[in-house]
Amino acid sequence: MKKIQIYLSYTFKSTPLFAVVLLFASCQKDIDVKLPAYKEKLVVEASIETGKTAQVLLSMTAPYFGNVDLSDPTRFFVKGAFITITDGVVVDTLKELDPTTGYLYLGTKLFGQVGKSYLMTIKYNGDTYTSITNILNPIPLDSVFFKAETDTFGYAWGHLTDPVGKGNCYRWFAKRITKDQFFVAPFNSAFDDKFIDGTSFDFSYERPPQPNERDGYSDQPHAGYYNIGDTVIIKFCTIGTTEYLFWRSYYSNKASNGNPFSAPANIQSNISGGAGVIGAFCGYSPSFDTLIIKK
Amino acid sequence: MPCLGIAQNFTISGYVKDKSNGESAIGANVYVREGMIGTSTNAYGFFSLTLPAGKYTFVCSYLGYEPFTDTIYLKENVSKTLSLAPLGKDLNEVEITGEKTDDNVQSSQMSAIQLDIAQIKKLPAFMGEVDILKSIQLLPGVKSAGDGNSGFYVRGGGPDQNLILLDDAPIYNAAHLLGFFSVFNGDAIKNVNLIKGGMPAQYGGRLSSVLDISMKEGNSQKFQVDGGLGVIASRLTIQGPIVKDKVSFIVSARRTYLDVLSKPVFKYIRPKSDFAGSSYYFYDLNAKLNWQISHKDRLFLSVYHGKDVFDFKDAESSFNVHVPWGNTVACLRWNHLFSSKLFSNASVTYTNYDFSFTAAQSNFELTLFSGIKDWTAKYDFVYIPNPRHNIKAGINYIYHTFTPSNVSAKQGETIFDIGKIIRLYSHDAAIYIADDWEITKRLKVNAGLRFSYFAQVGPFTRYVKDQFGRTVDTNVYGPGKKVVDYHGLEPRASIRYSFTKSLSVKASYTRNYQYIHLASISSVSLPTDVWMPSTDLIKPQLGNQYALGVFKNFNKDMFESSVEVYYKTMANQIDYKEGAEPQDNVFDNPDNAFTYGKGEAYGAEFFFKKRTGKLTGWVGYTLSWTWRQFKDINYGQRYLAKYDRRHDASLVITYDPNKVWNFGLVFVYGTGNRGTLPNGLFAYEGGVSYDYGLRNSYKFPDYHRLDLSATYTPDRDKQLRRKQARFEKRYERRGKDITKIKLPRSWAKNYQGSWTLSIFNVYNRHNPYLVYFDAQGDFLKGNYTVKGKQVSLFPILPTITWNFKF
Repeated sequence: MKKIQIYLSYTFKSTPLFAVVLLFASCQKDIDVKLPAYKEKLVVEASIETGKTAQVLLSMTAPYFGNVDLSDPTRFFVKGAFITITDGVVVDTLKELDPTTGYLYLGTKLFGQVGKSYLMTIKYNGDTYTSITNILNPIPLDSVFFKAETDTFGYAWGHLTDPVGKGNCYRWFAKRITKDQFFVAPFNSAFDDKFIDGTSFDFSYERPPQPNERDGYSDQPHAGYYNIGDTVIIKFCTIGTTEYLFWRSYYSNKASNGNPFSAPANIQSNISGGAGVIGAFCGYSPSFDTLIIKK
Repeated sequence: MPCLGIAQNFTISGYVKDKSNGESAIGANVYVREGMIGTSTNAYGFFSLTLPAGKYTFVCSYLGYEPFTDTIYLKENVSKTLSLAPLGKDLNEVEITGEKTDDNVQSSQMSAIQLDIAQIKKLPAFMGEVDILKSIQLLPGVKSAGDGNSGFYVRGGGPDQNLILLDDAPIYNAAHLLGFFSVFNGDAIKNVNLIKGGMPAQYGGRLSSVLDISMKEGNSQKFQVDGGLGVIASRLTIQGPIVKDKVSFIVSARRTYLDVLSKPVFKYIRPKSDFAGSSYYFYDLNAKLNWQISHKDRLFLSVYHGKDVFDFKDAESSFNVHVPWGNTVACLRWNHLFSSKLFSNASVTYTNYDFSFTAAQSNFELTLFSGIKDWTAKYDFVYIPNPRHNIKAGINYIYHTFTPSNVSAKQGETIFDIGKIIRLYSHDAAIYIADDWEITKRLKVNAGLRFSYFAQVGPFTRYVKDQFGRTVDTNVYGPGKKVVDYHGLEPRASIRYSFTKSLSVKASYTRNYQYIHLASISSVSLPTDVWMPSTDLIKPQLGNQYALGVFKNFNKDMFESSVEVYYKTMANQIDYKEGAEPQDNVFDNPDNAFTYGKGEAYGAEFFFKKRTGKLTGWVGYTLSWTWRQFKDINYGQRYLAKYDRRHDASLVITYDPNKVWNFGLVFVYGTGNRGTLPNGLFAYEGGVSYDYGLRNSYKFPDYHRLDLSATYTPDRDKQLRRKQARFEKRYERRGKDITKIKLPRSWAKNYQGSWTLSIFNVYNRHNPYLVYFDAQGDFLKGNYTVKGKQVSLFPILPTITWNFKF
């Protein structure tokens, strides 16, 4: 069902219509684009997960076009922010992992628990930003399996039974044992039960690239595939609606990147405060499955 | 001058026609020299002139035709059918004295322009296809959206706010091929009338303009075949009498052969991929039957059907797309004269616009479809008690069926349940009355009142949302059950004060309700845009327009000029919320994805036209501002509309030096469109994303372009004479009897061909169609670079078209 969404996004925001126009396109040339002055925003990538402490990545947006040196991305890392997470009882003040670079802030004493709400407060540069997220009851997959698309390559599939009643939202992460360092979410990894409420169904995801693989990943011959011999751990998380809406608008924004036909999509955030903020505070309630791909 | 009101009054009424083919003459002037009392013919060529008994010099004149003059002794009601002979081309210079051509100054209507199809055909045509919509965009106050878009924007209004009528039937999508061509085949069209302000009360249902297009009625005198071979399309029109002077027909067809031409182009664009089977074509079919039952009754049946079909096949990824869309309209009209002073027109109209989109990969198939269908019944009356009043009244009713985007999908044999087909139903009715009243010779007023009523009815399911956009409740309405209704009074008034015969000032006020809405999910106008009725969430659009103008003619009406200023407000405008997706409609109401707002537009329009002589044409200039403001767009702040255009200018010239050659020139200049580009970037989950700037904060480079055309029409008489002379010479040499020579066959005698060379974009300007950023490298690795790129559609494009008739 997710496939329908991807198809619609794809077909309406991309290739075929573009191809018709290109049929007539006579020329493409470089031009000088004069953009209006840009005010930087705070970017927040915050999460808390069952059994783990909170993790927050803080940076600033960079002006897109202009005389700004982009050669050192660490310039946009945020240093010296004051961040707290609380479940209403315990207050955890996050620690800046490396105060010389900033960027990554980690909790120390508050571990995520199913059924709890968490309030995050960020104080930076005179502004205060707040957000609330929940760790919901996990909804595990019924099973996971592999389906080959070619001789040996294929996608990872899940079988899910969605509980009756709308409003369940999910996010999928995966990592291969021994080969991969991190759990990574593929494109469009979040979905809700609008189409599938109360039903049992199969769905699949591609293998997302690890951070060190991203360069030229899509040009690789077997990009997006798992291979026979892989052992994949799937982290399937239940998330809240506002968090889902953030991920949806985030992917919608990414889908329209570079496509001049689509209407500009600004990203919805569940964080309030300040003069402008991008990002979300997301509570994850994971359940894990292991998929051993055999011949 | 006979004194009005003392003597008994009588009426001269009837129809004015073109003698050569029996077509009705629209807007012909009918008057008596004594006191210059007169009127003009309506859209069916009908006139009625009531005068005191007496002797008059009765004149009928029509630009491009020999005037009709007769002395009449009016002592009873007279009914006449006047047939005017077209002027020979070289007689254009003949000065017609006493011609009443000051209609632009003297009528109470302002902000209106009538274009003759013959005039449009002389202008350079894009790819050789005569295009009415492109021609009207050359008029001040009417803006184009640039290359590849035939949607037009009148005085800051949206493309859905134009009422486009083809023989009384509304056309919902007037564009072929994503807007490169309009659906109106120039060969089937007779007349185009555009009203951009001071909309008379007989029109309604749209805020911004009326584009009233009349199809030809068919030659009632003789059979005629016209056609043309162009670079991308061919046309053929057949017309003629079924019963001479009584029943005539016309059938006109056009089809592109782009599907044949595009295949190598696809290969060129993506040589690596196999796009075999990808194609695109469109066709149009117009037909009309015209039956003159008696002097009092006429019946017209008009039909239009047009379709675009786009196929995209990518063998490599086994991805296929099939996209057909098109309009079907039909209209049956009955003209009836109750008396020489009371004209009526009753009509029943059907119009249907359908769009469908099927994408398939492997065994997965997905179809998306949308459309709108109307049934309309209408009865209009024109009552002309005397030359000082022209009273119009009428009633109309429309039953709309909307199909906003619906989705169906299947994988192999499995059909997914993604919600039942959503259709929305509504009643749309109006009643109006208006009087065009010449209070004194100097002062004329057109006052009208329109009352409109709209009701959305079931079957309908309303999904009620919470603040996160989640469905918390559903309300179900049964078939025919009222969901919501709206009504409104729409006063219209325009006033003309003339200082002299050739100088007047006009002012107008109009208030319009529009109960239907077009929502566009893309940043460009595409057939994927969906029509929606007003619902319990969507309030009817409301427009108010004020206009003021000065009109002046010079040199015996050889030149006309005008300056108009306007101010317009538009309430209850709709747009998609940011980040809305097409699938949001599934298990939901499309209007839950909308945000609501308002618009404001103001500007000044300057127009100068030379209307007679070998050299004719006009210069237009518009200075304007157009604003929009929506709750959920641009953080609620007001912003300039995409088609806000500070400066817009056009120069149009046609030159007819002789019978054989004529030339056309078009130059346009416009401030660039506005758009939204990313202006910040940031890293998230290890990737880079864009932060978009304020809505429409980027202005595209300006648009300008020059087009030229030349038409060569060989002198057929000369050719035939030469041919005959050659024959005679040859036969003489052989010593044969000249009288036995076989002359060319009779159809060949009637054959007339012409060649048109059009050059589009003469100095090869790269006008922007799209501007986007091309990013290379990885931001997180510090080797990120961004370049601005501009895509242009059309380079210099010379095309040649061969037209023929016999």
